[in-house]
Amino acid sequence: MRASYPTALGTYHNCQNTQKKGKSLIMGLSFQATTPSKRRRQLSKHLVAYSFILPNLLGFAIFTLIPIVFSLGLAFMSWDGANEISWVGVDNFKELRDDTTFNIALKNTLWYVTGTVPLTMACSLGLAILLNQPIRGKNIFRTIYFFPYVASLVAVAAVWNMLFFPSAGPVNELLRALGVDNPPRWSASIDWAMPTVVMASVWRGMGYYMVIYLAALQGIPAILYESAKIDGADMWQQFRYITLPMLTPATFFISIMLTITSFKVFDLILVMTNGGPGRATNVLVLHTYNTAFRRFEFGYSSAIAMVLFAMVLAITVVQFYMEKRWVEYSQV
Amino acid sequence: MNTWLNRRVVKSITVLLVIFSVVGLLPGVSAQDETITLTMTVWDLATTPYWQAVVDAYEAQNPNVKVELVDLASADYGDVINVRLSGGDDTDIITVKDIPQYAAMLTRGQVIPLNDYIDAAGIDLSMYSGAAEELTYEGSIYGMPFRSDIWIMYYNKDIFDAAGVDYPANDITWDEFDALARQVTSGSGADKIYGALFHVWRSCVQLATVQDGMNSVISTDYSFMAPMYNMVTAMQKDGIAPDYGEQRAGNIHYSGPFLNGQVAMLPMGSWFIGRMVSDKEAGVYDFDWGVTAFPHPDGVEVGTTAGTLTSLAINDKSDNKDAAWDFVQFYSGVEGAKVLAATGNLPAVRTPEVLEVFASRDGMPAEIAEALQTVTVRLELPMHENVGEIEQILNEAHDLIMTRSVSVEDGLAEASERVSDVLND
Repeated sequence: MRASYPTALGTYHNCQNTQKKGKSLIMGLSFQATTPSKRRRQLSKHLVAYSFILPNLLGFAIFTLIPIVFSLGLAFMSWDGANEISWVGVDNFKELRDDTTFNIALKNTLWYVTGTVPLTMACSLGLAILLNQPIRGKNIFRTIYFFPYVASLVAVAAVWNMLFFPSAGPVNELLRALGVDNPPRWSASIDWAMPTVVMASVWRGMGYYMVIYLAALQGIPAILYESAKIDGADMWQQFRYITLPMLTPATFFISIMLTITSFKVFDLILVMTNGGPGRATNVLVLHTYNTAFRRFEFGYSSAIAMVLFAMVLAITVVQFYMEKRWVEYSQV
Repeated sequence: MNTWLNRRVVKSITVLLVIFSVVGLLPGVSAQDETITLTMTVWDLATTPYWQAVVDAYEAQNPNVKVELVDLASADYGDVINVRLSGGDDTDIITVKDIPQYAAMLTRGQVIPLNDYIDAAGIDLSMYSGAAEELTYEGSIYGMPFRSDIWIMYYNKDIFDAAGVDYPANDITWDEFDALARQVTSGSGADKIYGALFHVWRSCVQLATVQDGMNSVISTDYSFMAPMYNMVTAMQKDGIAPDYGEQRAGNIHYSGPFLNGQVAMLPMGSWFIGRMVSDKEAGVYDFDWGVTAFPHPDGVEVGTTAGTLTSLAINDKSDNKDAAWDFVQFYSGVEGAKVLAATGNLPAVRTPEVLEVFASRDGMPAEIAEALQTVTVRLELPMHENVGEIEQILNEAHDLIMTRSVSVEDGLAEASERVSDVLND
């Protein structure tokens, strides 16, 4: 565990280096490799290398790349999945403006992302710091917190719905025992359905991000804390001026991954609320799915997917642009 | 070493190829006695006994035909069929589960019109008592109805006995139903007995609003649904019926509370009869149960109910359309109906002899014959090209009203507005 995160980061940087090296290698080849036998040997070397990435590349191309390109094209067409495809230009995007469900889903998605991302980051960081202490049985706790991430989502949704059961669920029983007369009706109320989903999502994801934070925490050299202690820094100051800055690469990575996965939320909502009550938890991917597979408007559905794609892309680009301002890549 | 290895590899590949080609020839050899293999999509094969029963009966009469069932999960049956057909799947016979699926397939030309076959075979469509007309779209019919369930009401006799209240009559109005439910509700906590249960489906409330035939589920003004919604939400608020939000959040199936003896009256489809009979045999519950006709609004004749249709369609891409039609004709005709009735399911063909087979099964309550007599059966969802989208809007409105997130009036007004938009497009 100790070395895993630095290695992961290292691999990331190494990758970039290799890429550069790889480029120069190929460029160099065209000038240097003069004799045919040498060239052939080099070529077979490359073929071997490419054969290693081929299975992955092939799968990616068939199941991801081609569908994405197809969907990009479909966004400007009208297709019901069976009859002729016809070109409609930007009509699909114009239609979005008046689609009340799209506007609700867009708002709900943003609501979900702004709720889930900071909460998950805070919870996973808190857990990581707790479980980084020398406590008894910390490995057991680490496993327990990671468990929701690998547990079946349908089971997770069913258990959450039972926990938050309005009349006799444990959560509301507890709230009543604490003196709350009218506890929320959770997933059965339009106001509380989204917070319920957000909580379930935070609980489900925090274990995974906790592991990343844990690895990053263990990568912080102890000498930094030692020298800070000698300078008289208290716990808060150590956290504020050493831990947090040293964690920024991990925080950056997590914020990007989390933002992307949050925008893509679908499965949890489908099984927990199916977008309801009414449209209170309808999100963009659910709307995309309903448009395509309930209404058979594959073109319009692709247009919604493209809006989602553009939003995620824009936010990720901004995040990368801001990276220089706050992420520390200091070498100690 | 290397060449030896290569030779060995080449040799084993050759042997494998020979084996494969021989194996591949085998079906070719057996195909000489002209066995026709038909494929048919169905759902939940393991728990739905009638699929195989009808196929067995057909194969016994037609030894040269083999029908292979393609088993799909019922929950996403419509989605899977849609994806399969869009991908050019050539399964011969497609079982049509509901009207949205039917509408989607025929508007996209994935299934063929059957009128020529019907005319050639001289089939009298009136034996389906209106079901064939419901399936007719722009003059053509694309599916042959084989199973048709209607809505009736189940009740727990033990609860009525304990409360000292007479069993509900076969002919009751919704107002009488409401009053009866309030009479037999009792207890609290684990001993709670609910007077009635409305399952979470939209149809459980909305069907009653179109029973009188004055309005349709596809409408631009849903205010006619308000009285029924007011009654049901009041029953839930007063603890006469289980709470909708909890039924949904807990994913509670209607059979649970009813078989547990916690519910006195359950309006539900006739598909539940088979389950009631088999579960009693299996000892899942031990109370006595009865059935009545579906309760009806004031001024509407008893026996007016709503129903669902399950039908068979032939894939446009099928290579054996004529053979497929022969099977479909058997399945949806009187012979198939008798097999279906013997498994405890209501066929679309309701001749007296077919109903006799159905009602004479062991464990059927005595009232069944009376309860199943229908005057008018309205389709749960009428045929319309945008029916999928409209149903989603109605589901969302139902959800909002039943969770009491919005008032009955506001919820119905929103649905009216949104469905009008769809119809005007």
